[in-house]
Amino acid sequence: MPTVHVEKDRCKGCELCTRVCPEQALGMSEKINAKGYFYPVAKEADKCTGCRRCVLMCPDEAIQVEVKGKRTAPPEALTGAPLHYCPGCTHGVIHSLIGDAIDHLGIREKTVGIAPVGCSVLAYNYFNVDMQQASHGRALALATGIKRGRPDLAVFTYQGDGDLASIGMAETVHAANRGEKVTAIFVNNAIYGMTGGQMAPTTLPGQITSTTRAGRDVKHAGEPIRMVELLNELQTPAYLTRVSVHDPKHILAARKAIRKAFKYQMDGVCFSLVEILSTCPTGWGQTPHDACGWVVDKMTPYFPLGDKKVPEAA
Amino acid sequence: MEKKLMKGCEAIGEAAICAGARLFFGYPITPQNEIPEYLSSRMPQVGGTFVQAESEVAASNMLYGASGAGKRVITSSSSPGISLMGEALSYMAGAELPAVIVSIMRAGPGLGGILPSQSDYFQATKGGGHGDYRVMVLAPETVQEAVDHTIKAFDYADKYRNPVIILADGILGQMMEPVTFPEPVRPEDLPEKPWATTGAKGRERNIVNSLYLNPDVLEERNWQLVKKYEAMREDVEFDTYHLDDEVDVMIVAYGTVARIARTAVDTMREQGMRVGLFRPVTVYPFPSDALAEAADKAGAVLTSELSTGQMLEDVKAAIAGKRPVEFFGRVGGNLMAPEEIVEQVTALMERQGRSVA
Amino acid sequence: MQSEIILAGFGGQGVLLIGKLIALAGMDDNREVTWMPAYGPEMRGGTCNCTVVVGDKKIGSPISKRPHHLIALNLPSLDKFEDEVRPGGIIVTNTSLINRRPKRDDIKLVEVPANAIAIEAGSPRAANMVALGAFAAASGLVTLEGLIDVLDKNLAKNPKLAEINRVAVSRGYELGRAGA
Repeated sequence: MPTVHVEKDRCKGCELCTRVCPEQALGMSEKINAKGYFYPVAKEADKCTGCRRCVLMCPDEAIQVEVKGKRTAPPEALTGAPLHYCPGCTHGVIHSLIGDAIDHLGIREKTVGIAPVGCSVLAYNYFNVDMQQASHGRALALATGIKRGRPDLAVFTYQGDGDLASIGMAETVHAANRGEKVTAIFVNNAIYGMTGGQMAPTTLPGQITSTTRAGRDVKHAGEPIRMVELLNELQTPAYLTRVSVHDPKHILAARKAIRKAFKYQMDGVCFSLVEILSTCPTGWGQTPHDACGWVVDKMTPYFPLGDKKVPEAA
Repeated sequence: MEKKLMKGCEAIGEAAICAGARLFFGYPITPQNEIPEYLSSRMPQVGGTFVQAESEVAASNMLYGASGAGKRVITSSSSPGISLMGEALSYMAGAELPAVIVSIMRAGPGLGGILPSQSDYFQATKGGGHGDYRVMVLAPETVQEAVDHTIKAFDYADKYRNPVIILADGILGQMMEPVTFPEPVRPEDLPEKPWATTGAKGRERNIVNSLYLNPDVLEERNWQLVKKYEAMREDVEFDTYHLDDEVDVMIVAYGTVARIARTAVDTMREQGMRVGLFRPVTVYPFPSDALAEAADKAGAVLTSELSTGQMLEDVKAAIAGKRPVEFFGRVGGNLMAPEEIVEQVTALMERQGRSVA
Repeated sequence: MQSEIILAGFGGQGVLLIGKLIALAGMDDNREVTWMPAYGPEMRGGTCNCTVVVGDKKIGSPISKRPHHLIALNLPSLDKFEDEVRPGGIIVTNTSLINRRPKRDDIKLVEVPANAIAIEAGSPRAANMVALGAFAAASGLVTLEGLIDVLDKNLAKNPKLAEINRVAVSRGYELGRAGA
């Protein structure tokens, strides 16, 4: 029988795991953990089929599942340090997917990551690879420098919507246009989380933020920027795709895309950018579960999922 | 007028409106987000405009454009963002454009931290951008002063046709204190700016520019600017506390540290120690003459800052070796407690061979 | 005379708000006041605090490493600030969430089951108001009338909540007076 292992003190009580469990095998604890959160427990353990949806969905690497003596484990390319993100924020899911891709390609010891400014500013604590910290928006300029100096390395940037699409727009467009053989992981959650919920370049029309208290007015603030589509206009070959991490099925698709993006880089094919729709329960003022629903209902119509450009060599 | 309890950042935003500014351009950065947030909803209420720019580089150049078109305009940021504004600051100084820039300092260098600091004193008073230029810098210590300085800054900016920086730290930005606002200025009552690019109707063309390829012309222009910076001395401000009579130690501090030092002075005075405080209010132009005069009545000087010693250089230059000048700083986002200043002063007095009480 | 108070608890317990109410009541009383929130990285760790200074002359430092009084709404806050309180000061603890007494015996202790009383008053979220009332009574720094007045002026948008707050502050005040 499969067994669910919960590392309870890593849990922030977001309840995304219990929501995705198709068998309702998981429930929340009666007691709080060391952080003051309720955590999942296998209340009806016999119902668990070992599907691992909870493992994929957990943003805090707090759940592992054991099936026939084989236990899931967090990627080696992550340090295992507890993540500082708010409860239910899907940054943690994306970290795990990048860790998976690095492990999958066996490139941990030749990968350099670049941490941005924004909520993921502390990303250098979480990826178990060499890391550089960039100033706001300049991650792809650093990446260019690293890659041109050491073409043998795998170089990735981890950037939010403010970093990559606002202040770093020029660096993003030009790195893509030069066809730098690097991988940009673009986390789009339609808001500035770290500074307290201001408008992002990807904030949706009418969306309320702390600098658009009456909702984003496109007459003054413009329409949200679709980065993948915008970069698609460049003639340089690239791998440009948009994925989401709001449920396990889409997490698996995102995993595939990230692996592919790193593979193109390692094969020297092209620049790759994976835009990932992510949640900000705190900034949006929603529960983690509702935030995942908001991604589907509000974000995906404006930011359609799927590959936008695939290099011909593929 | 009615007293309101307001956060420093929000009060600065309201003060800008009081001064007749109807344009704000900025970009989020901690710890000054409350200024753009406040003005994002307040500006439209008074027929003004708020733009969240794509970067501080853009925001500061929007300032350049709006100022060049003759409008009162303001931006705000914090240390890494002010670095990005260095370009526009230099260009605005070169083109002689008035504008107000609020710099809420956090700890550096690099990304540093978000806690209070005074480590951008050099950036504000000595440049920030390239070229021989200066900007007037006001350093408030209370929320009321932040309001008064913001309003004055617009007047100074217009008077000298130069950028003016409000230099404060995260404490002042985040703190709430009671404030009152003066009668607001109506933008339409502000005097015309004949040099602005408002459309060359019935007059010669106006050109806003800082490019002078002829070295003689550029040299002349630089000396003209120096004259203007010298003229700013007539608006130098400072404040003294317990400096009417001779003191054993004079503390020099500005902004938040001056407040902490004032508490320390009170403690020491209660113990019978002869200690006073000199607080520069404008830090460019620096109140050098007044400080030198005050130092004549002091045994020794202790400069205290949230930096590793920046204003210290101006203090030393003003006192010109006439008195020993020592330094006490805390950095990284840490503040000194009043008790630490008391300890430093006591130790300094002992080193000077003065009796502590 | 100047009073420096640290108010601390979990984020969401409303310590910034009750600090602001003390400052507002002090301001209405024509005293000098400052309110300073901690805004550093610890905010993301779930704890939250602010420092309020009320005095009769221009206030120097708006922060204090030796506060006169402490209002602790949870255990980490008591752990963090207990030792800093000046001898003779007041420590208000929320016994609904704090399962120990302060180690100090040179302070005036005011214990209130703030969450329990708030639930009785109609909302668990009013625990901060109970602690505020208790502190006001024990310290005499602001009057109950002064607090009710600022509550009415600043938090009257939701009449039901306003009534709950008034009841919670008043109940806290009674307990603080009895305990003082």
